[in-house]
Amino acid sequence: MAEVVFDQASRIYTPGAKPAVDRLDLTVADGDLVVLVGPSGSGKSTALRMLAGLEPIDAGSVRIDGRDVVDVPSKDRDIAMVFQNYALYPSKTVAENMAFPLKMRGMDKDERAQRVRQAAEMLGLTEYLDRKPKALSGGQRQRVAMGRAIVREPQVFLMDEPLSNLDAKMRVQTRAQIAEMQNRLEVSTVYVTHDQVEAMTMGDKVAVLANGQLQQYATPPELYDRPKNAFVAGFIGSPAMNLLDLPRSSSGVTLGGVEIPLPRDVSDAAGSRDKLTIGIRPEDWVLESTDADSSTVVKAVVDVVEELGSESYLYAHLADDTSTSVVVRGPGRVKVRFGDPIAVRPNPDALHVFDAETGERLP
Amino acid sequence: MTATLEERPAAPENAGGKPAIDKAEGWRRRGPLLPALIFTIIVTQIPFILTLYYSLQSWNLVRPGSQEFVWFSNYGDVFADSQFRTVALNTVIMTLGSVLIAVVLGLLLALLLNRQFAGRGIVRTLLITPFLITPVAAALLWKTVLLDPTLGLINFVLTPFGGSGTEWISQFPLASVMAALIWQWTPFMMLLLLAGLQSMPTDQLEAARVDGASAWSTFRELTLPHLRRFIELGVVLGTIYLVNIFDQVYMMTQGGPGVASANLPFYIYQRAFLGFDIGQSAAMGVVVVILTLIAANFALRLIFRSFSGEQEAA
Repeated sequence: MAEVVFDQASRIYTPGAKPAVDRLDLTVADGDLVVLVGPSGSGKSTALRMLAGLEPIDAGSVRIDGRDVVDVPSKDRDIAMVFQNYALYPSKTVAENMAFPLKMRGMDKDERAQRVRQAAEMLGLTEYLDRKPKALSGGQRQRVAMGRAIVREPQVFLMDEPLSNLDAKMRVQTRAQIAEMQNRLEVSTVYVTHDQVEAMTMGDKVAVLANGQLQQYATPPELYDRPKNAFVAGFIGSPAMNLLDLPRSSSGVTLGGVEIPLPRDVSDAAGSRDKLTIGIRPEDWVLESTDADSSTVVKAVVDVVEELGSESYLYAHLADDTSTSVVVRGPGRVKVRFGDPIAVRPNPDALHVFDAETGERLP
Repeated sequence: MTATLEERPAAPENAGGKPAIDKAEGWRRRGPLLPALIFTIIVTQIPFILTLYYSLQSWNLVRPGSQEFVWFSNYGDVFADSQFRTVALNTVIMTLGSVLIAVVLGLLLALLLNRQFAGRGIVRTLLITPFLITPVAAALLWKTVLLDPTLGLINFVLTPFGGSGTEWISQFPLASVMAALIWQWTPFMMLLLLAGLQSMPTDQLEAARVDGASAWSTFRELTLPHLRRFIELGVVLGTIYLVNIFDQVYMMTQGGPGVASANLPFYIYQRAFLGFDIGQSAAMGVVVVILTLIAANFALRLIFRSFSGEQEAA
């Protein structure tokens, strides 16, 4: 149980080059599950490995429970890590794998066995304790890796894409198990993933990273509702938010000849910029009748229809600008098909406005 | 049947376990291998059958016309020959001793080379060199340059410590031959084990670091089990080769003094080509082949088991 603090922590592989992790500031509150999410090369795994002691911290510091761990070796940081490929020891049985960290701290045999038994019960691994990892399925291996972390009763759990080798169904199931277990154990957890669904469903708070830099650190609803910049806006949400570079007009911006008014505070913040990036989530379009007046609705032509049952997504391009594509959420059953015209109108209250140059949110 | 053929047109032989290709096609496919097969039979099996035949004869080349059929009396003589037993024991000591020491040294060097340090490439090349030297040249090198009592480097180095004048080759003949063998075979073991070390998944080592394992525990609990099959392979290959070694014995000691450093191949050579006793050396050859087959059977079963992929686990 501990608070984890990244304080301007950096990892610089080659001096002079761009740092892999650039002055990361992050505080994981005691007992929270924080997800680090970002595309490949964003530095999320490196940040986790810095916390684990598997990568040096070249500048700044990392503190666990108030203790600066920059010069503390991995084994003395009181952390447990779950690796992407599980990193089980192939020559050891499940029980020996789980007992290994305890054995390394010199815990006596009976206590080891008892702790392993408890963890195995919790994870439903009791009947597999004598098996070697090679005789287990992917999901079982994953649970053994979790078990090896749990028996330690560490101050912090570190998880590096622990679900990425599981199939889709198993992933959803294990995702819930991990979240539930973490809630029960109340151990601070740092969880790395590239999957934003995992990030949004599991995290108490989510840190979005890109190019080694922290983009936003917030709760999942806040990330979704108020993305701090265009990168976060485009990264969080599936299908992704429509981000359109639109020219200013007198009262707002124009899209396909339609005037979209902007709220007062936004247009004040936008100042004299002549172009803005407007973000509209797929669900923030209103489908209108195609007969509607073209000064109030945007006309588009459907390219692809994805019907998911409860809802559908229409991928379309603007009728008068084929290079601009939009994604629109519609009801579960839609009659439109490839090539059909549609008319849409953005919900003016749900617009996200960003600086077209810097991508920063306005205001 | 039709359905099976449609599903697996590429492997029709599998349907019902009966070969679906006709005889002519079979000959066309396998025919080109025939010369190689015939050649192999000629050069391995015919000599072996002749050896079996000779081993039942009393036949000494220096007494022409002495050849006669004696049933198994040569085999009786072989087992009664105390020198043969000494030589057999020498062979075991020489083979297993050299292989095991070479594996241990090779492991230490492989662990060293598995780390990053300046000049690693040069060190690696130098360490491999002994393996690339012709065995005869290596034996001469050991016999004269290193172990010669008056001119040898080893006695020169030992002089300040009062150790000069040791007649290495006559005082410690078996150990001298083994030293040369170990020197040549350590690089082979090193390369094999280095390949093993480099195939060790890094995430297991990282997990061990996080789990609090010391360097020694990591080595004992993870690295050594991972290397097990590489060590087994090294032992088996080294044994297969060293049990037949001839060059070093011939060049360094001629098996002497007496038979102190002779191994079975050399002893058989001596009996056949210096003693001209064809019958008895043939019988020894047969005994050695049988013993080797038994040992090789166990050894090969061991490596096939460890390399059947059962160890692979994520």
